[in-house]
Amino acid sequence: LTAAENRELETRMQKRQLKEFMSVIGNLVDTCFNSCINDFTSKALSGTETGCITRCVQKSMTTQARMAERFAEQNQAMAAEMQRKAQQ
Amino acid sequence: MSFFGLGRPQPTSAEKIAAVENELKMMADMHNRMTRVCSAKCVDKTYRESDLAKGEAVCLDRCSAKFFDVHAKIFDQIQKETTERMAAAGGGGGGGGGFGM
Repeated sequence: LTAAENRELETRMQKRQLKEFMSVIGNLVDTCFNSCINDFTSKALSGTETGCITRCVQKSMTTQARMAERFAEQNQAMAAEMQRKAQQ
Repeated sequence: MSFFGLGRPQPTSAEKIAAVENELKMMADMHNRMTRVCSAKCVDKTYRESDLAKGEAVCLDRCSAKFFDVHAKIFDQIQKETTERMAAAGGGGGGGGGFGM
């Protein structure tokens, strides 16, 4: 890719990353809400629920980070395997 | 990973960018699916702790390895089955062409 093409790609990647970020937040809200919020006898968030949400976000972010590491490793291994097969 | 071999017409700028973008998109999609699926299988949904437990972490690692393996296996199998089914249909279509007319 030329320098100009790289710049174009970078612009598109930035747009995509922003979209990605918004969807991560969306998923987090859905997941944590579904797991933590089950009591509708009050419209105010209880202390339990708030704590659950906080822990949910922290755990989800830790999980994401770990999965990113594993994904990079697995992806590399898969690419190496595909190259090996292609050369056979 | 290069898709473009010798002897083919040179891809346009737009095609090259699109190819890279698509590959990155597929990778991102796979990453998201893996995270979602493995979280559902491995992470305690009551969120009693904010840290990943050792058991959960190990489960996530194993899950990601299995996810990739399953992806590769299914990919290979689909390719194989498609080829076989198309071959069978090709052979059967010649014989079945005499139906109903």
